Amino acid sequence: MNFLEPTALAFAATLPIVVLFYLLKRKRVVKLVSSTLLWQKFLAETQASAPFQRLRHNWLLILQLLLLTLVILALGRPYFASKQKGGRMLVAILDASASMQARDETPSRFEKAKKDVGALIDNLQASDQMVLLLAGAHTEVKQSPTANKSALRRALAGCAVTSASGRMAEALRLAQPLVKDRAEAEIHLFSDGATTDLSELENEGLRLVYHRAGTRAMNVGIVTLDVRPHPEDPTRRAVFASFLNATTNAIDTEVELRFNGQLIETRPLTIGPRETLPQVFSTQQTEDGIFTLLVMADDDLPADNIASIGSALPQPTKVLLVTRGNRFLEKALAAAPNTEVTVAKELADTALGFDFVVLDGVMPVVWPEVNTMAVQVARTNWFEAAGKNLEAPAIVDVKATHPLLRFTTLENVQIAESMAVKTPPWALAVVEASEAPLILAGELEKRRVVWLAFDPLQSTWPLRISFPIFVANAVEWLSPATVSAARHQARPGQPLRLSFEQDVTEARITPPGQKERVLPVAAGARELVFGDTLREGLYHLQAGTNQVTYCVNLLDPLESDTTPRGEIRMGKFARVEAASTRPANLELWRWLSGVGLAILLFEWWYYHRRTA
Amino acid sequence: MRRLEQLQLLAQRRARSAARGERRSRSRGQSVEFADYRNYVAGDDLRYLDWNLYGRLDRLFLKLYEEERELPVRIFLDASESMTFGEPSKFDYARQVAAAVGYVALCGFDRVSVTVFPEENVDAPTAGALRQVRGRKSALPFFQNLGRITAKGTVALNESLRRGALEARQPGLAIVLSDFLDPAGYEAGLNALAGRGFQINLIHVLADEELNPATYGDLRLVDSESGGFQEVTFGRYRLAAYQKTVANFCQRLREYLATRGGNYFMANTAMPLEDLLLKQLRQAEVWR
Repeated sequence: MNFLEPTALAFAATLPIVVLFYLLKRKRVVKLVSSTLLWQKFLAETQASAPFQRLRHNWLLILQLLLLTLVILALGRPYFASKQKGGRMLVAILDASASMQARDETPSRFEKAKKDVGALIDNLQASDQMVLLLAGAHTEVKQSPTANKSALRRALAGCAVTSASGRMAEALRLAQPLVKDRAEAEIHLFSDGATTDLSELENEGLRLVYHRAGTRAMNVGIVTLDVRPHPEDPTRRAVFASFLNATTNAIDTEVELRFNGQLIETRPLTIGPRETLPQVFSTQQTEDGIFTLLVMADDDLPADNIASIGSALPQPTKVLLVTRGNRFLEKALAAAPNTEVTVAKELADTALGFDFVVLDGVMPVVWPEVNTMAVQVARTNWFEAAGKNLEAPAIVDVKATHPLLRFTTLENVQIAESMAVKTPPWALAVVEASEAPLILAGELEKRRVVWLAFDPLQSTWPLRISFPIFVANAVEWLSPATVSAARHQARPGQPLRLSFEQDVTEARITPPGQKERVLPVAAGARELVFGDTLREGLYHLQAGTNQVTYCVNLLDPLESDTTPRGEIRMGKFARVEAASTRPANLELWRWLSGVGLAILLFEWWYYHRRTA
Repeated sequence: MRRLEQLQLLAQRRARSAARGERRSRSRGQSVEFADYRNYVAGDDLRYLDWNLYGRLDRLFLKLYEEERELPVRIFLDASESMTFGEPSKFDYARQVAAAVGYVALCGFDRVSVTVFPEENVDAPTAGALRQVRGRKSALPFFQNLGRITAKGTVALNESLRRGALEARQPGLAIVLSDFLDPAGYEAGLNALAGRGFQINLIHVLADEELNPATYGDLRLVDSESGGFQEVTFGRYRLAAYQKTVANFCQRLREYLATRGGNYFMANTAMPLEDLLLKQLRQAEVWR
């Protein structure tokens, strides 16, 4: 026999107390009376001067001890290991995304969801098992399958909310195999429904119960933030931002722009109901620094009321164009703002003096060790063996949101011939034909690479307006300043990376609102990765002489929109509606045995009061 | 006092006293109460011949009259320590009753004797003075002597009553004033009185705190006479049970007395004295 609640056996300490009650005699008030004759006639009990009396054989005592023993045993929940039908398997997924910080529930959505999970744990039957998953930036298995309620409660107490975007699909994918092919299995999702990527997840007959947290949408937040040279005045900087109003009323608020903590501008905003309002702030910048935007609104979710972005002073981009003659490309590069173009016929060194190299159909003798844009040339380790060239490939897919394709349209572009490669793991196909990618962009060995599978001169593209825009985008994307700015930006949950040339033994990091932490660095390491970025704000990282400030911002319209979703869409057709209450067997035995214990003690007290 | 003067003690039995008084007796003697006739024999007092009868029957008959004797009234007064309790104390109450009964008896030309127990509580001259009191003029000294008695010590009720019964030359009316809280009981003493031919009037004096105790909680009760103690947990919820015990005790005493032709009176010291004297005793025809 074992016990599910062995701690309840501590109540056995009450057994000697019952015996003690029987041993104990009460202190009495002395009173002189005329005669004790009448009292003697009246009374049955006798006298003793010591505080204790001899323990006499008393059936009542034995019964009470027996009853108390049984109650304590019951509280210990004894069980025999035997074979019986398996219990239920419950997978509780607790959403720890940023929107769960919303304070419309008391004290927050996350705490409310935790309370609900606690209630689910309380209602577990003895044969039930439960898994606890915390879905933050990544899904954490807080507790593997167990029937041990104490372990589950401990795991639940260790759950904390993050400022990361919701990644429910990952958690659901993890939960699927646990509940698959089990008759009595359920996934309980404790969330406000703010999650993106469930469209790929087909609801394959999952028993999903959605416990909704949240009552209202009362939030204004920053959803995009970018800083660029001002399009009309290159000496100024333009801070682009957009603000989302998740409420169903128009909201008047104020926005503050600060640079390195100095207030630059305060702007009143009126955002219409459920609208996103873009804003551009123009300002002079005299040194490298950090722009911070603050929304002065007292709303449910403070995490998205602040966003920061690093901005370095614009430096001229040095471009080496290796070509046998391409006026279109040359002109397009020269037209890009703040660029110094050098043209060469071939490349024989690593081109370390340039910011990036454009290889226009020329195979270099030595591959450059800087960012590269390659046109119809490929290094051998970039792709698997290439197939036969494609004739007149048609553009079928364009990733219009990629920075390379900003403000471009490739609708009227015809291509005569292109190379046929498979998209490698390091790159993203930003423009694709039906059989092969046409433009790839990615990062390889810490260098950014843009690869064109076709020669623009063998297409109609140089005649379109989209070509110089694409080249300008490419210049910006490949420019090391942009790369480092992007590296210094992160979403909550994403790791921060810092490269360094010299040997360092330790790095110091100061997360927002916390003390400085010292991280040991292995000898010979050239990169430091810091993963504990679950809170938004500025992370100051120092390793050797390198000192970098990372801006971790929420910037997620889905999380800023704190409207509690009544249903969650899964795959293309399936929906799961919020079920706030459902039938459950609430165990009452604890209360009953507690009352039994109280009655027993009262009975003892009352009995003694009458028979003393 | 004036109302008491009008009262007269009643005895169910004829007085047996040797002294003359105002009570009817079995003896024939000189009074105005006609009793019987008897034949004249030589030497009889000619003043008692019924001449009318002689005229009708021509025979001499002598008229006989009842002899009027006094009624011996013996008061047994409990002066033990337990009698000092109550407000007013049971002893004061009993003493007042004794004084009233004694005064009524003295007004009726009866002989009053008071037996105080324990005997140590009264000095010898007072005890002697209380042993024989007669005549209305003795009332004031009688009261003063009663006032000299103090209550203390342990009671031996049976012994005292038995001795009182033996000491009495003639039986008469016995008034017993006590709380009867003697662990040895009361049966032997009352038996002795009844056996000697006393008509017993028993006045059971109890204090209100003995009838309705108002001290609750875990108590250690100390006996005022024996010094013994009794531990008890008492509360309002047990009051009724206690009162029932007291009622049973009184009822047993009453029944015991009834089988011996006595009268039982319950006196709560909180009760006005007049209620006892002018209502209860009168209703029970102890006096009229």
